[in-house]
Amino acid sequence: MNPLIRREFFGILRSPKAFAMLAFLTAMFSLTVLMRWPSDSTSVSGSQSLQVFRIFGYALLAGVVFLVPAFPATSIVNEKNNKTLALLLNSPLSAFSIYFGKMSGVLLFSLLVLLCSLPACAACFAMGGLSARGEIGMLYLVLTLLIVQYTTLGMLISSYAQTSDAAVRMTYTAVLALLLLTLVPAAFLRGTAGGSGIIGQASEWIHSLSPIPVMTEIMSQGELGSSGLKQSSTIGRFLTATLISSLVFAGITLSRLNYRIFDRSRAQGVITDERGLLSRLVRRVFYIVDPQRRKGGIPWYLNPVMVKEFRCRRFGRSQWLLRLVSVCAIISMVLTFMAANSVTSWGVHTIGALLVLMQVVLVVVLTPSLASGLISGERDSGGWELLRMTPLSPWRIVIGKLLSVAWTLALVLMATLPGYLMMMWIQPELSIQVRLVLICLLWIAIYALAISSAVGSLFRYTAVSTAVTYVVVIAIFLVPILVWLARDAPFGRGTVQAALMTNPVGAALSVISAPGFEQYDLLPASWWIAAMLSTLMFAVLGFQVWRLTRSV
Amino acid sequence: MKDQDAVIEIEGLSKVYGDFVALDSLSLNVRRGQILGFIGPNGAGKTTTIRILVGLLKPTSGSARIAGADCMTESRKIKRLVGYMPDDFGKYNNMRVSEYLDFFGAAYGIARRARMKRIDEVLEIAGATHMKDLFVDALSRGMQQRVALARTMMHDPEVLILDEPANGLDPQARIDMRTMLLRLAELGKTLIVTSHILPELARVCDEVAMITKGKLRAFGTVDTIMRNIQQRRTFEVMLLREDRVDPVADATQAWLQKHQQEQKGGAGEVSRVVAERMVRFTTALGDEDVSPLLSHLISLGEPVAQFREVPTDLEDAFLYVANEGAREFGSSPRASSPVSMSAASSTVAASKSGVGTK
Repeated sequence: MNPLIRREFFGILRSPKAFAMLAFLTAMFSLTVLMRWPSDSTSVSGSQSLQVFRIFGYALLAGVVFLVPAFPATSIVNEKNNKTLALLLNSPLSAFSIYFGKMSGVLLFSLLVLLCSLPACAACFAMGGLSARGEIGMLYLVLTLLIVQYTTLGMLISSYAQTSDAAVRMTYTAVLALLLLTLVPAAFLRGTAGGSGIIGQASEWIHSLSPIPVMTEIMSQGELGSSGLKQSSTIGRFLTATLISSLVFAGITLSRLNYRIFDRSRAQGVITDERGLLSRLVRRVFYIVDPQRRKGGIPWYLNPVMVKEFRCRRFGRSQWLLRLVSVCAIISMVLTFMAANSVTSWGVHTIGALLVLMQVVLVVVLTPSLASGLISGERDSGGWELLRMTPLSPWRIVIGKLLSVAWTLALVLMATLPGYLMMMWIQPELSIQVRLVLICLLWIAIYALAISSAVGSLFRYTAVSTAVTYVVVIAIFLVPILVWLARDAPFGRGTVQAALMTNPVGAALSVISAPGFEQYDLLPASWWIAAMLSTLMFAVLGFQVWRLTRSV
Repeated sequence: MKDQDAVIEIEGLSKVYGDFVALDSLSLNVRRGQILGFIGPNGAGKTTTIRILVGLLKPTSGSARIAGADCMTESRKIKRLVGYMPDDFGKYNNMRVSEYLDFFGAAYGIARRARMKRIDEVLEIAGATHMKDLFVDALSRGMQQRVALARTMMHDPEVLILDEPANGLDPQARIDMRTMLLRLAELGKTLIVTSHILPELARVCDEVAMITKGKLRAFGTVDTIMRNIQQRRTFEVMLLREDRVDPVADATQAWLQKHQQEQKGGAGEVSRVVAERMVRFTTALGDEDVSPLLSHLISLGEPVAQFREVPTDLEDAFLYVANEGAREFGSSPRASSPVSMSAASSTVAASKSGVGTK
């Protein structure tokens, strides 16, 4: 047996946390089925079992999306940082054995997650109306391939990353992009002139990389509440695209598993101020805010911790923020322009919904990556002790850290304002709705910030805090949407309304009258809930900081 | 005992975690401008003491004051008075050295203009001026230590507490670090330095505190500690001929038995190294008592080429003290291992007295 498989797989199994997670998942899957189990035996029919199966299937998909990426994301980078990768490469094990061993360990554990769902799945099957080879077999095949894809992708990112938390961040971002962003091109091009050519075909293949269309097909959901997500059978394309992408990811990772992976010189710290005049001018035009320019001292009116946070983030520096803001602004303008010129059949409401969703995705992807390591990053790097030794009060440290994330989020939110302004210009009667949407978006950002910083502060290591925060934030923002997707069947209006109320995303979509959200009345209850939960989360953060700064 | 010149005053400091005593009634004073070497094996209580001094931990009992400020109740004053350099560098990614120092300067509330000037000064003192524009996460261990020292000096503290500053440094960097510490002391700073590289400490420290199992075992200048520990010393007699090793060893043994019984009781240990034409012995006798042995051997006609005491260094003293501590707590002595190149290891089995505890 490959020693790495033994070490990875048994290593994970020996961990009490892994055991607790598997037990928890088994219980959750069973509970999900039990909740929708028909109380009246005469009411058991094919459609009801399908309803239960849908809930079960989406819960399983959510489990795979949330849990699987964290394991491969840290597998190679941890070996690199612990200096054990050099030992492995120096052993008689071939690169393929190392890769295969590490991948198998993660895959075996992920497949255990699927195995945990078998009792619940058997219950669905026992209700009748489902085919073992059809729906059930296909669901497990799709999820298994998805696990393989996420594992190879995570390991590829892990081979490039320098720190485990960066690997976790990038992997979750890539997984979310595969899950959601891949749907966007096809959604735009379908039914348009450009949708029939090569570009249209390419967009359909990109669309097939997302597991959502194939899941809706397996679940026999013709209408998903979001038109355009499913047109023809996507299962074959999904299987092909997933297999090919997994092979590509694995191939690239394998090609990196040699001594060249360590072949990196230290940054020389070349600074623009010491370059020639021409170089300085070109860089000024190109960057606007040159990252390599020597910085002035931190002015007295700024919180030094906030400035430090901006400066020590690779993507937190001004040039990246400007780029992000520019991209957001351009996308929002283009979307609204397209609506105004009837480039697509979508109305202003649909465009508004897309703007909201784009911002929510940005907030959900950005916030945990920025906020989860605010405290754990300091503890991990040894900076916490140094901060405690300065005269900065815990309050000022926390405020500085929160501000550094808040400013970034504010810039992202403000970047889409041109789109909303154009929307108001097209339909002036929308101004009140747009204002309400903006307040909702503000609450979404505050809420995401509160959850990310509080959950992240509970952990000692950045990689763990990042992974857990992503899972929690994505769960909080995605689960209500999943419940909404299953509106009327099996969830009733009351359940969907209650689920949407747990965060302000549903409220924003409802206010902008996004298709499928018009019927829900979520304001101001949604704001109150977000305010209360955010306060609670900030209190948790405050308590944790107090606990970590006091002398005992 | 109150010392008027003392900048650091520690009195009866104890820290207890449940049943575990991390620090047991530690008392010592450090005078202004002095360098105190703080020595102890891993888990001895050094870091606990340091963390109490810098206000990161609260003691169970006792008191600690730095320049008159109470370490427990006046943490704001302590933060200004003390520069603490932990063993861990505490690096921030993607930050240049100047930005890193700028941040800590701002955190200490130094005005921007003064801060910029101070950055240049501390980098100059730490010999790190050329690193100003480098990224802190790209620095080598030795460079990081210099930058850490610069960071510790940013707010011009009166007392510097350096945890393992020579750890992981190459010989040249260690020499540089030693020079820097002496320079800081010349500037009037009071320093507490912990290190496992004891010869380094012996060269720079005015006083040394040895701690094991939370208890202070020895405190004083390096010379005082050596003198007190050297209750049993090792001597070597080198001969001109190998065949005289055994007779000389026998004669030495007999002479020591006679004289030690008369004076202190208990014979010394005599070992022979034939290949090196050497007889080695340990004794509790003083210089004046041992010198007649040389006359005795010469009077016997033995071809003595050299008669000398094997010098004891701080490492030996530390091993001696560590073993005393270990023995007191019932664990096996560390130096029962084959560390027998010097006096301290051989004196382990000897008297328990004589450590210059305060």
